Amino acid sequence: MMAQPLSSAIDTAFKSNIVPDQEYLLQGSVLDKVVEVLLHRLRGLCDNVDSGPEPFQDHEMCFTIRTTPTPLNLRVRRALDHQEMPWQLRYIGQPEYGDKMRPTIIRSSIDIGCSATVVEFLTELGCRMEFEYIARGYMFRKGRMKITVSKVFKMNQNKSQESMEPLSESYLVELSVLAPRGQDAIAEDMRSFAEQLRPLVNLDKVDFKRLVHGPP
Amino acid sequence: MQREEKQLDMALDAIIMRVNDLKQSISNMIVKLELEHETLNWPTFLDNFALMSGQLTALTKVLTQDKCPALRNLVVLPIQLSQERDPELLRITEQRVPQFSHDLAPDYLRTKLEPDVEQRMLQLEIKAGNMTYEMAQKQVSAFNKVMNHVWDVVSKAREEWESESGSRSGPQQTTSISDTHLLVSAISAGKNLKMPVPQGQAGPPGMMGPGGRPGVGPPGGPMMNPGQQMGPMGKVPSGIKTNIKAASQIHPYNR
Repeated sequence: MMAQPLSSAIDTAFKSNIVPDQEYLLQGSVLDKVVEVLLHRLRGLCDNVDSGPEPFQDHEMCFTIRTTPTPLNLRVRRALDHQEMPWQLRYIGQPEYGDKMRPTIIRSSIDIGCSATVVEFLTELGCRMEFEYIARGYMFRKGRMKITVSKVFKMNQNKSQESMEPLSESYLVELSVLAPRGQDAIAEDMRSFAEQLRPLVNLDKVDFKRLVHGPP
Repeated sequence: MQREEKQLDMALDAIIMRVNDLKQSISNMIVKLELEHETLNWPTFLDNFALMSGQLTALTKVLTQDKCPALRNLVVLPIQLSQERDPELLRITEQRVPQFSHDLAPDYLRTKLEPDVEQRMLQLEIKAGNMTYEMAQKQVSAFNKVMNHVWDVVSKAREEWESESGSRSGPQQTTSISDTHLLVSAISAGKNLKMPVPQGQAGPPGMMGPGGRPGVGPPGGPMMNPGQQMGPMGKVPSGIKTNIKAASQIHPYNR
């Protein structure tokens, strides 16, 4: 058998739609005082019943590089509670909201593991860190779906973790699935799962672009 | 005489109809128990009982009606017993009674309880009759005490449940749309996360590139400072402008 050049193998993989590079996403939030109720409900609904919810504490930095016509965003994420884990570099494309009939946001998403020098590397490339934050919360799984319930904290100047300032009095709730292009059936599953969390959390397609330009 | 017979026929028809209703609902219940016992829930089960109880009441009403002749004054007399299978009998009894023999007839025409049941009833009656008045009174009061206790527990639980569901039905807010928007725009576009720069200090962490290389500072420095101070103080879009300037600073360095 002839060895296929790597680049063409990747092309073939992309063409045959087997690369899970599409993220199906729903977002919502829950007030701090009822987060325990939500966690309890998720514990019952999700797969990792025995092990319980998986706690995480991640530091995310968003870099941009000036490209035409729209600037390119790259995100670097590292686990603060597992320093030995590789860092993660992530590209997220423009979200497609679609019409009312489409159950979830769809956006391209490519993840890759990397080392801690990625920040230096991106800086050398001309990327500039736009903002950073810390997300602390719990992760749940249900089949292919991933559910995160996390508190978003601002990074403070001296970067000490004790005096982190929460961004709001709510937890961010995200329901996402990474799937190859065209697997829209999963979006329906997500919609019905989100339905089970109502009215505790309304998971929806949140269009932040409209919000950025709205009143602060 | 004929009028009485007619009345008897009518009454019997009415009774047979009620009994058939009752029989039907009992057999429905049995079928349900046999086939759906895994999915059957308590409310439907109780509904079945309620239906039967209603039918029994209807039957009793028919029996106690004035029009109904006193059935206890009538005698059913088996004229003939037969060992032969009787297809007609089989048909009208839904395949239950194949022949009207001396073995089965007493059971079907029975008006008293079976002897051993009757004996046990008698024993219980004797036992009840032998009890002294004080003993009975004591037992009744003990029973009442237990029942009152159960009643208290149940009504307390009900009170708690009602007050709980009452408070819960209130418009308790669990999620805030404005918080959702705040959080999503923060993690997606960095709203409220871009750090304000304290006056007269080095740039925010985002300025890592140029800031980290003091050698490059002098040519770009004076140009940058106004931008840096302006950016975070103004609106979000002006922050992006700063960003472009900062990135362009790298090119002179690469020369």
